[in-house]
Order: sequence, then C-alpha cells, then structure tokens
Amino acid sequence: MGNLDVALKSAMSIDGAIGAALVDYTSGMTLGVAGGTGEIDLTVAAAGNTDVVRAKLRTIEMLKLDDEIEDILITLGSQYHLIRPLSNRTGKGLFLYLMVSKSRANLAMARHQLRAIEESLEL
Amino acid sequence: MSRVDKLPRRTPAGAGTLPPPRKLPPSLAGNPALPYPAIGQELSALRLQIPGVHGCVLGGVDGLLITHNLQNDASPDDLAALAATMFGLGRQVGFRLGQGDFQQSTVRNANGYLSVYAVSRQALLAVVGTDSINVARLHLHAPDTAARLADLLDGVTPTTS
Repeated sequence: MGNLDVALKSAMSIDGAIGAALVDYTSGMTLGVAGGTGEIDLTVAAAGNTDVVRAKLRTIEMLKLDDEIEDILITLGSQYHLIRPLSNRTGKGLFLYLMVSKSRANLAMARHQLRAIEESLEL
Repeated sequence: MSRVDKLPRRTPAGAGTLPPPRKLPPSLAGNPALPYPAIGQELSALRLQIPGVHGCVLGGVDGLLITHNLQNDASPDDLAALAATMFGLGRQVGFRLGQGDFQQSTVRNANGYLSVYAVSRQALLAVVGTDSINVARLHLHAPDTAARLADLLDGVTPTTS
C-alpha cells in the first residue's frame, strides 16, 4: 500500500489541504485517510459522500448519458470538497476525497494536482 | 488389536473435577416489562436512516428473539439465533486474543449483509441489509442505536424463570 500512502501524502501537500481519503463507494469504507482535524472525522465524511457519488451515478444512469463522473466539486462557505472517482481498472469503485480551505487554496491548481495524483495511483 | 484401538482416547473427567454449573441471568425474551414501543421506534429509525436496511432484530445473547421489524420473509427467530452464534464466535475470538468484549460482527454474502452489534451484556442487535447498503454508515449509526437500546433495556427487572 506504499503507493496509496504516497498518493494521500501528495494530496495533503496540495496548498490549503485539510484532509484526504481514498474511499470505496460500494461500501462507504475508507482505504486510507490523511489529515483531518479533531472536529472533522474523515470516515464520517467518506460514508456521507459515498451517498453523493452513488446519487450522481444513478442520475447519470437514469438520464442514459452513458458517461462517467470526472470529478465533483462541492463549495462550502470556507472549504472546497473535491471528489474524484478513480478511472483506471484497478481503482474501480473507489474515489479520492479532498477537503481544502477556500482561503488558502487555488481551486484550479488543486483540481489539476488531484487529477495527477489519481492518474498515478495504481493499487 | 486394530490400529484404531491405539489412538488416544478422551477419558471422562471425574465427578469432583467438574466445574460448578454456571448461573445464567434470566432471558430477556418474552419479558412483558420491556418498553416495546420505544424499542420499536429505535429499530425503525435505523431502518429509515440507512437506505437498504431490510430490518433489525433485537435478540438476547441466549439466541431468543426479543423483538424485530423485519420487512422481508426472513425468520426473526432464526436471525436472533444466528446473531447469538456470531456473538459466540466473536466472544471466543475476544477471549483468545485478549481483545476484550464483543462489539460487532459482519457477514457479507453475494446479495446482502448481516451485521450483529453488541447492545448490552445480555442483548444483541442484528441488522439485515441489501448488498448495495452503505455499510460504513451503518457502522457509524448502529452503535449509537445499540447504546440507546441498552439504556431502554437497562433497569428492566428480568423475568424470573
């Protein structure tokens, strides 16, 4: 799982990163977490955002779009939450979850870096 | 003398060496003093909170059914017995590895889950779910439900049998 630790560590090195997790959306369980604070339990965030990903996947299916999610951005008052499903074969059913501080992060840069991390992640 | 006769045999323990019979607390099953409406509310709240939960079974560690809210045709009595079996296995693991009291055990099959949570020293909560259930969310919510159920069961005078 060295690769996973490296990926989570580089996700945490993104400017303004608060927490990162790799989540299995078939069960809502985390494969790994990094960062987080006393108030923010990333396993709770993972379980909750699993429902977000599932709802969007179901919507795409209902609309017969025959497409997939590249990423999901959720903007809060003080944070950005980025969800990025893994696209390679070994990462099927998983997504990367990243929380960044709105004031300290560059959204375009964070998205770009998260894509690079996702592409290099081989499980 | 055949080869079978040479095999080691267990010898029965002498009458004096047997441990004294254990005193078990009376079963919670069938106790009319339990707050069934409040228990039922907790069980339905858990089913509503997490999509994919077919129902919950509250059973005793003795394998007897206390109450349930199952919606499918699974037998609640069987599930209470299965829950106690899973508890027994978990408890033994806890003993052998020195890991303390049983908390939770989950079985995942091709088309669904059965999770068993410790409620109190006497009761267990079993939850049946579909395969698509968000099991991490279940693991986050069910222990809280179990703790509230423990409070409801606590203080109820056990039936003397």
